[in-house]
Amino acid sequence: MLQYLIILLDDTSTSYCHYENPKKDAGLIPLNILKAGIRFGMVENLMIQFVYPDYELPGEYKEAIESIDHSKIVSSLCNDKSLADEADVIVFHDWSGISYAMTFPDKSYVLRTTKAKLFERYLFLKEFLSKVARLNIVITDIETFDDGDYEQYKLILHTLSENIEKMYVDGLAPQLNLLTDRIMLKEMNNCGAGDTNITLAPNGKFYICHAFYIENEDDCIGDVKRGLDIKNKQLYKLKYSPICSHCDAYQCKRCVWLNRKTTLEVNTPSHEQCVVAHLERNSSCELLKSIRKHGKFLPETEIQEIDYLDPFDKRKEW
Amino acid sequence: MEKEAIKKNDTGWKNGMAKNITFIVTKDCQLACKYCYLVGKNEKERMSWEVAKMAIDYILDQEDDMQEESVVWDFIGGEPFLEIELIDKICDYLKIEMFQRNHHWFNSYRFSFSTNGINYDSEKVQEFIRKNRDHLSIGITIDGTEVKHDLNRIYKVTGKGSYKSVVRNIPLWLEQFPYGGTKVTISSPDIPYIKESVLHLYSLGIKEININVVFENVWKEGDDKLFEEQLMSLADAIIDEGYYKDYACSFYSENIGKPLDPILENTNWCGAGRMLAVDANGIFYPCTRFAQYSLRDKKAWTIGNVNDGIDKNRLRPFLVLDRLSQSKQECIDCEIASGCAWCQGENYDAAESNTIFQRSTAICKMHKARVRANNYYWNKLYRKLELEGQREEYEKNKKEVKQEIC
Repeated sequence: MLQYLIILLDDTSTSYCHYENPKKDAGLIPLNILKAGIRFGMVENLMIQFVYPDYELPGEYKEAIESIDHSKIVSSLCNDKSLADEADVIVFHDWSGISYAMTFPDKSYVLRTTKAKLFERYLFLKEFLSKVARLNIVITDIETFDDGDYEQYKLILHTLSENIEKMYVDGLAPQLNLLTDRIMLKEMNNCGAGDTNITLAPNGKFYICHAFYIENEDDCIGDVKRGLDIKNKQLYKLKYSPICSHCDAYQCKRCVWLNRKTTLEVNTPSHEQCVVAHLERNSSCELLKSIRKHGKFLPETEIQEIDYLDPFDKRKEW
Repeated sequence: MEKEAIKKNDTGWKNGMAKNITFIVTKDCQLACKYCYLVGKNEKERMSWEVAKMAIDYILDQEDDMQEESVVWDFIGGEPFLEIELIDKICDYLKIEMFQRNHHWFNSYRFSFSTNGINYDSEKVQEFIRKNRDHLSIGITIDGTEVKHDLNRIYKVTGKGSYKSVVRNIPLWLEQFPYGGTKVTISSPDIPYIKESVLHLYSLGIKEININVVFENVWKEGDDKLFEEQLMSLADAIIDEGYYKDYACSFYSENIGKPLDPILENTNWCGAGRMLAVDANGIFYPCTRFAQYSLRDKKAWTIGNVNDGIDKNRLRPFLVLDRLSQSKQECIDCEIASGCAWCQGENYDAAESNTIFQRSTAICKMHKARVRANNYYWNKLYRKLELEGQREEYEKNKKEVKQEIC
C-alpha cells in the first residue's frame, strides 16, 4: 500500500541511495508542480519526504513545503545551513563528514560509500555511531562484490558487531542499518519503491524512485495531472518476488533499481545483493547472541542459523 | 513390451530433461509463413565458423554449470538446412571436443532439427544424415492438407504455397525416421482445416502430430466455437476409425483441464533459461524467442556473449519463475488450468512492462474450447474401450505422464 510520496525539489536533489545523481544543472521543480504534488500527497494520505538540492530554495518554495507535514532529506554539503537543523535525514557522500561534520544526536544519517572506502575506513564508524540516532550505510557498488570482497565484508561486519556490543554494554543503543535492523525487525522492511513509496520529479511526472528518473525520464509511472499508472505494479510487492518471499534477511534494501539493472527484473535481486544482505543478516545473528551474553535482550527475537548466503541456491526446497 | 491401447505423444528424448542448446545458424528462410513469430528474419545474419567455435568452446568449458545428464544440440533458423555445411562442421567439432575433453555429454547427445523440409533430399543434407544417423532428431513441418499448408506456408519470393516441395520428401524422411513427428501450428484462419489436416498427415504415414495454437493474440470472435467443433469432429474420426491405437495427436491428453494446486503444482511451463541459444553475433539468449528477430515490441533479452560468457544474474528471473508469480488470480483459480500453456518469450513481448512475469492469456478461450473437446474425446474413447473390454487393461497399463515443458 502506498504510504510515502518523495518529492525531488530539483534535478540536482541529493542522491540518498545506491544510484549516483550526475545532474549538475539546477532544474528547480516549478512551484505549481510542487503544490500539485503536495495536494496529491494530501488527498492520497501520503507522508511526504522532500529531497533537497545543495542551494537555498526561494521563499515561496519554503512556504509551500511548510504547508504540510513532511520530512527533509538533505546533503551534508547543502549551502543552506539552516537546513542542517531542520533536516530529518542528512546524507554524506564521502567519509570526511564522518570525522568532521557537526552532528546532532537526534538525527538520522546516510553514508553513501564505495566498498573500497568502507573496507578502508570502517574503523571511523564507531565514534560516529555513538554521536547520532541512526546511521544507514549505503554501498554504492554492491553489484561489483566478488568472493574476496564477501570475505572482507564479513570480517568488517564482525568488527563493527563487536563495537556495537561494547556500546550496548555501556548503555548506548546505536542503530546501524547493516547490523541492528535485522535484530529489530519481525518481517521484511525493504526500500518499498513502487509499492509503499513513489517519487515525483521536477518534470511533474511520477517515477518508481529517484534512480529511475535519472536513468530514463521516459520511464515514468504517471503524472500529477492524470495520477498513477504503474504497469505490473504487483511485481513491486514481496509476494510476487519468488526469491525475496522466501528470504528472512529482513533488513535488505531489496533495491528494485539494482534488481532491474542486474537481472532485468524489478522483482529479482542479483546474487551480489543477496549475499551481501545475508552476510549482514548472519552478523546480526552473531551480534544478538553477543549482546545476550550480557543480559536479557529482546527475548522474543530469534534469527535462525542458516547454511546458505543466497536463497536462490535453495530454490529447489521452496 | 506390450503395446499400449492408445498411442501417446512422445515426451521427447530423455523425457525432455536434457539441456537444450540452440544455434541460430541463419535468420534466412525460403518461406515467409504468415504465422511465423520471427518478425526479423533476414539474409544477412548467418553464423560464421569462428562464432560457432567460440560458442562451443565456451559452453563445453562450463561443464560444472551445465550438469544435465544429456544435451540436445538444436539448430534452427530461419531454415537451418540452408547452412548445412556450417552445421556439419559444428557437429564434427562437437563430437571431437566432447570426446577429447571426456565431457559427460559425449555419447549422450542429439543433434536436433526442425526443418521446412524443402531441401531435405539434397546431397549435403542426406550425407549429413548418413554421418550422424544415430544421434539425430529431425522434424519436418507440414501443416496438413495442401489447402491448409499453403494458406500460411508460402514462398518468400513468389508467395506460392510450399506444400508440394515438402510432401515429396515425406516418404524419404519417414523411411529414415519412421517415428518422426511433425509440428502443426494453428492460427485463426487454419481452424476450419484442422480435422482434415490431421487425418491427411496420418494418411501420409506421420504417426506423431504435435499441434498447438499460436500464443499470440490473433483470435477472433467465434474462433473458440469453431475450434471446439473441429476437435470434436476430429475426435469422432480418430475414435471411430481406430486411429488412436497407432497415431497420436497432442490436442488430446488425459492430463489437461484440471485444477492445479497452488503449492504442489507451481512450476513454470516454459523451459526458457534452462535452455541456451546463441546467434550469429555470438550473443547468448535464454531461448531463441528472446532474440531480436523473434520480438515485435520489445528489445532482445540477452544473457551474455561468447567473449564475456553468461551473466548468471540475468538468468535468475528465469530460474525462479513459477506459475503463481506470473499468473493473474483468475488463472491461479482456474478449474481447468492444467495443460494451459504459455511461451515466456511471447509473455515478455506482450507484457505491459519489460518483464517475463506477466503471463499472456490470449489463448484462454482456445484452451477452454480444447478442454471441452478433450473431455468429449476421452469420455467417448473410455466408453469404447469399456464396451470392447479393454478399459480395465488400459487403466492398469497406462503410464504416468509428467507435465510437459516446452
